[in-house]
Amino acid sequence: MTTTPAIALHDVSFRYPGADEDTLRNVNLTIDTADFVTVVGGNGSAKTTLCKTFNGLVPHYWSGDFAGVTEVCGIDTYTSNVAELSSRVGYVYQDFMNQLVRPTVRDEISFSPINFGMPDHAERTAEALEMLRITDLADRFVWQLSGGEGHLTALASVLAMRPEIIVVDEPVAELDPARALEIYERLEVLNQQHGITVVTIEHHAEFIAQFAKSVVLMDQGSPVWHLPVQEAVNRSSQLEAHGIPAPQVVQAVQALGYDQSPRTVKDAAQLIGPAVATLQSDAVADQEEHAAQRPVVAAASKVHHSYRTVKSSLQPVLNGLDLQVHRGDRIALVGGNGSGKTTLLKLLSGIMVARQGEIQVNGINTRSRSATRLSEHAAYLWQHPQQMFLKESIEADIALYPKERKVADWQHLVQHTLQQVRLTQFAHRDGRSLSGGQQRRATLAIGLAMQPTLLVLDEPTASLDITSRDAVISMLDELSDVIASAVVATHDMSLVSEWANRVVVLRNGQVAADLTPRALFDYPELLAEAHLVPPQIAQLGQAVGLSPAPLSVAEFIARFQPDELVGTGWTKSVGVKQ
Amino acid sequence: MARKQRDVLSVEWVKLELIRTAYATRGGLFSVMDPRMVLGWYLILAIIPWFTHNLTVLAVLFVVAAISVALARVGPLILALFVFGLLTEAVYIFIAAIFFGGDLTTIMALLELTLKLGTISMASMAAFVSLDPEKLSDALLALRAPALLAFAVSYGYRMLPILVEEFNTVFDNYRLRSAPPEKPGFLGFRSIAHWIKMAILAFYPIFLNTAQSVRTTVEALETRGFTYATVDQRGRNIRLAYLKVGALDLAVVAVTIILVAGAFWCGQVWPVYHVDLLR
Repeated sequence: MTTTPAIALHDVSFRYPGADEDTLRNVNLTIDTADFVTVVGGNGSAKTTLCKTFNGLVPHYWSGDFAGVTEVCGIDTYTSNVAELSSRVGYVYQDFMNQLVRPTVRDEISFSPINFGMPDHAERTAEALEMLRITDLADRFVWQLSGGEGHLTALASVLAMRPEIIVVDEPVAELDPARALEIYERLEVLNQQHGITVVTIEHHAEFIAQFAKSVVLMDQGSPVWHLPVQEAVNRSSQLEAHGIPAPQVVQAVQALGYDQSPRTVKDAAQLIGPAVATLQSDAVADQEEHAAQRPVVAAASKVHHSYRTVKSSLQPVLNGLDLQVHRGDRIALVGGNGSGKTTLLKLLSGIMVARQGEIQVNGINTRSRSATRLSEHAAYLWQHPQQMFLKESIEADIALYPKERKVADWQHLVQHTLQQVRLTQFAHRDGRSLSGGQQRRATLAIGLAMQPTLLVLDEPTASLDITSRDAVISMLDELSDVIASAVVATHDMSLVSEWANRVVVLRNGQVAADLTPRALFDYPELLAEAHLVPPQIAQLGQAVGLSPAPLSVAEFIARFQPDELVGTGWTKSVGVKQ
Repeated sequence: MARKQRDVLSVEWVKLELIRTAYATRGGLFSVMDPRMVLGWYLILAIIPWFTHNLTVLAVLFVVAAISVALARVGPLILALFVFGLLTEAVYIFIAAIFFGGDLTTIMALLELTLKLGTISMASMAAFVSLDPEKLSDALLALRAPALLAFAVSYGYRMLPILVEEFNTVFDNYRLRSAPPEKPGFLGFRSIAHWIKMAILAFYPIFLNTAQSVRTTVEALETRGFTYATVDQRGRNIRLAYLKVGALDLAVVAVTIILVAGAFWCGQVWPVYHVDLLR
């Protein structure tokens, strides 16, 4: 091959200063120009360190023991420097909000070109804004941006350098699925139309299958293989062993006996063909008991709320909202950004009171008690676990409430709660030093130890990898008899379909719909408005004509019967096991 | 007492006020001036009061500074803090003077100091409320201050709303999870002590969280040429290209100088020193 590859690593090893062993071990890897590569691997497999060799942060910023040769666009990174390499390689961090250093979006994007003294900095800034179609955000302050907008800003700020390579570290981690999809679509455009080499670090097989051209599997500091995406997806069991469960469509199709690994819902639907039209399958008969018969735990009536803006005007958030939460409810509160989810949660837990309208929790009007006293009835769990770690160890954090409020036998309660969330062995660690999934479980334990009637959680599965997310969901499920009722604000459709028994959709500050998770997936327009992406299995169910949509792979398998008349045409070449 | 949503004297209000102050959203005379000239103007009013003991001069300067505060449209929070500071200082001086066996002479001498400090504080408010952090940072850069200082000013302000928000969250956590005192105590003394304790404790988690998040920031700065720009001057030139001294800038500084000269003229004609007041 005559053209220079975008990135070439020869026998690269690296050891962080003060570390006992090499983080990168003898890495040999070639990434072609205009490739769309996804780097996958378990925690601690050195994915991020690998990507930091591309822009020279390793070994120039992290000056550990470096051996081997890294060539980026034909430049040896060892003899180059971070400044020179940054004009070729753009890096978007997983915690991208911390990479934004300037007050406004425009300043942020022009920051690099100005630092490098480029006379055409204004042009480059406008171009980067236009490439990602965020010109209307240009004059916003960065602290006003939503997660998705922040990510696009970080991406635009590296695009302003007109890089040949862009590295994006786990875009899905801090974004809701709809936003993450949008980021991937823009990356695809950058890759296809502008020929930029894209490298992402990713856990979600769905995104890998849909967008990547090739996949690098890392394990213990070196690549296991680097394969075209279809071959990589075919090795689903190997990926699963490294913490990347196969996409639901692959699981479903393979459970039906096919050996292909379709990469999208459409491919899968074509492969297995339409299902026999069934009217109301028995499997779907909703065993929902009548909610109205259960006692009311919390009630909001005609609640109006609004915030002051910097310019002193009022920004309405809730507009005459009515909601009743019954004992035993597991409510998923969904809706787009700014639809008032967090506000409603804070009102329900008594942290704030509404401008108009009343909220009752356990029969107590929230206006009549202080937030300090209301926390005996409702516990609020913040979205970012580290904001809830006030003490030196998670044990002390869990004990804070029962100890100070003199709950009888609080020591036992704390130990029991630690066991429930399986964190006993980490009891003495500072919460901040735990992994993402453990942090969530620790905050859950803090909430449980408050023994609330109503547990209120803001995005409990956000920024978790799939394995940790599934662990949190199943833990919430296990604890459902401990928690009388729970309201969860979320974008995570796995949480909705696997945990919730009631979905409340907020729109324009009102309840737009109040239904079962199953029913939700039958309203595509409702989903789109609330920035929700149904789980792949529900999409596949709909694509093959199963109505209502299935909520899990197991349910899909149980309900799916290929329509022989139509189906044979599709299935004859693959041999269905029956 | 029934709880209700408050728009003033709440954490949310403090946050909004800080933002309004920091980004000069209220406009005002000095916000349209060249930031270097604003700094120069500020230095005039900040240094001159130290060269005189003449109360007439100081009184006129005090009035000039007060007018500047009005022209700069300083917000209520900052203004209230200033008035509060000035009043408590006066009361404290009075008590201290009586307590330590001082007499009217001491009070008058301290009054002079209060006038000077008041003038300088008001000039600072007028200047820094009108300079958004970017302009301040650029002015510092233009005046050859270290690049790191200039950057710290603008980055500090960017972090401010986020830190206030974080403080609010951590404080709420303490409020919900710790136990309030069983009885409020004399004049709510126990409750107040509890609140102060929570407010202090709330800083520790914020320090730890921030320490964790700035690691990315420092790395990102490196990749985005921040260190490069401290060596290479082209970036500095581009950043400062917009700075221009105009007619308004010169007029404001000229008027200020005339007013200061006028103050000293008044001082010559009607001299009053603090010892005079006691005769």
